[in-house]
Amino acid sequence: MTDAHVCLGWRELSQMSIYLFFYLAWATWRIETGGHTEALNMMEVVEGGIQTTVQDYPGRVGFLDLGMYPAGPMDHLAFRFANLLVGNPLGAAALEVTLGGFKARFDRHCVIAVTGAPMPVTVNGVEVPMWQSFEVKPGDLLTLGMAKTGGFRAYVAIHGGIDVPEYMGSHATFTVGGFGGFEGRGLKKGDRVQLKLTPFSQKLVGRALRKELVPTYSFEWEIEAMRGPQADPDYMAAEDMEFFFSHSWKVDRNSNRMGIRLEPHKWQWARETGGVAGGHPSNILDNGYAVWTVNMCGDQPIILTADGPSLGGFICNATLIHASSWKAGQLVPGRDHVKFKEVTIDEAIAMARALETSISETNIVRG
Amino acid sequence: MKGREHTNRAVIDRLPKSGERPEVIYRYAGDRFILLEYGDMVLDLRTNFRIFGLNDAIKKARIDGVIETVPALRSMLIHYDSLKLEPAHLVDILKQLESDVPPVESLIIHSRRIELPIAFEDRYTRADIERYVKYTRQDAPNIINGHNIEYIALYNGLSSKQQVIDYICSTQWWNACIGFWPGLPFMFPLDPRYAIVAPKYNPTRPWTPEGAVGIGGPCVAIYPVASPGGYQLFGRTLPIFDLQQRNPAFKDNPILLRATDRVEWQPVSDDKLEVLRAKVFDGSYRYKIVSYEAFHVKSYLKFLDSIKDEVAEFQRKQADAAKSAPVP
Repeated sequence: MTDAHVCLGWRELSQMSIYLFFYLAWATWRIETGGHTEALNMMEVVEGGIQTTVQDYPGRVGFLDLGMYPAGPMDHLAFRFANLLVGNPLGAAALEVTLGGFKARFDRHCVIAVTGAPMPVTVNGVEVPMWQSFEVKPGDLLTLGMAKTGGFRAYVAIHGGIDVPEYMGSHATFTVGGFGGFEGRGLKKGDRVQLKLTPFSQKLVGRALRKELVPTYSFEWEIEAMRGPQADPDYMAAEDMEFFFSHSWKVDRNSNRMGIRLEPHKWQWARETGGVAGGHPSNILDNGYAVWTVNMCGDQPIILTADGPSLGGFICNATLIHASSWKAGQLVPGRDHVKFKEVTIDEAIAMARALETSISETNIVRG
Repeated sequence: MKGREHTNRAVIDRLPKSGERPEVIYRYAGDRFILLEYGDMVLDLRTNFRIFGLNDAIKKARIDGVIETVPALRSMLIHYDSLKLEPAHLVDILKQLESDVPPVESLIIHSRRIELPIAFEDRYTRADIERYVKYTRQDAPNIINGHNIEYIALYNGLSSKQQVIDYICSTQWWNACIGFWPGLPFMFPLDPRYAIVAPKYNPTRPWTPEGAVGIGGPCVAIYPVASPGGYQLFGRTLPIFDLQQRNPAFKDNPILLRATDRVEWQPVSDDKLEVLRAKVFDGSYRYKIVSYEAFHVKSYLKFLDSIKDEVAEFQRKQADAAKSAPVP
């Protein structure tokens, strides 16, 4: 052993300072981005709430002939606005929080936006606005309180998105089949959900949606729909359709991501029976169901939603249009009322075009 | 078309019956789907064959804006992007394609033949039926000696349980469509001499084991997962849905069956089925799937013609039996 090995000269010190510089740069980067390790890039669920699922848009499309409804967000409008606010691709994996009661802690420094049904949103107990992106630091606790003033579902988008495995091309949770999303189920206390590795970006903080574009959530809804596929005069009576489009329907308590049940009604029908398909005049030989259609299950109308059945033997007398189907996702079971407003195909397409155009950077302002 | 809007706003257009092709009605199902309905509300597999002919034509045409199709018994649902493809234009294309579909008797449909083992009156369906009697309906007329098969015999005028089993195993079952739940097949007998029917449970059964096989009306289904159900049960087969994709048959996705498959039943003992099911999950079982076969509608129709009298005879006996059989 020689002295050279134990003495620290200027040379060694300058070498060490280079190491120190690199170490500090790495540590800073690691803190800023959440680092490259899993442990520092997670969201820990503190309270799961009633039902909080990972969804993406448009969901698992292309498997309808194998019996798979697309899953995805129940409110595709608020969902995409949330992603827009944090600078994600509009369909990126984000959280759907049903009614509220969701709490999570974040390992990394990130930008988050919450949209949809008004819920009190706080970071470490300090209120933050909805429809506007905000910053969350490592260790911060995000809380969504309960929706009380109307609307049923809120969306939490995190810049970079949620990193759950794709199943059949999508991150969406299909609650009925128990697959997709995070382990095919709603989030529970203690779950550690991986986030996509993305550097923190200050310029994404404070982005807000123009006020006039923020939807109103009430207890009384009007949802635009088109007549058909099976309406009057061949399947239902003209009076039935008149009633359907004028009545204020109470949303049944027993509604979920599969379907939204409305109250049963004594219909006139156009046919005596379903013939070969069954005794009840709502019966037909099984056919594919459009997503967001109104299924007449015997005497009870059910709006078939994201996780619904793909095919069956009941008529569908009306179908929600794309520009309005998101409203169905905001109906509060057992409380809200809904009226259906009939529109033509041209009106539906014009509304869809306007809606799609509105989900754009031009509608983002500094909050 | 303008005038028609007032009488039936759900209908976009109609294509009148022509030759052997029934009338086609094009219906709005919102602004992203249209539904095609064929002919009258009758169960006629020829219509279903024709729909697969159209399905092939749609796929070959690669129409920009068409996202997917759902062929069913006498209908076809089409999912499309109305911001890219105007519905009226889509209907024009579809009407045009109808004339490209060959006459049904010259259709050759790609159709896999799949042999599935079945344990009739197995222990799992038996247990769920027992629970139904205990907790749901004690006097259910569709349950005789703890199962549904003897009731099916009664309802169809067959002499014994064994005859029901023979009938089920004597015909191939045509999978006309998949749906309701992921992977659930809707199958119909290709040989109408063995076309048993049965009314559904009333009330429905809260439990059905995964892999259960049963009949409702003329349609036979396999339950992809444990679920409530209304069909009269035969027994149990192998899994047709496996999320964990533990067998090569589920390599691409968790769903075994496709529309246009033909299923043949191979009776096995309850114990043998258990062994086979275990092999499915350890990955060593090879499902018996012949995938290169085609279904020639022409020879099938010729076959139907040759057995007309026997079919009429069976249907007459069947109708008589159904009249005197109790309905749940």
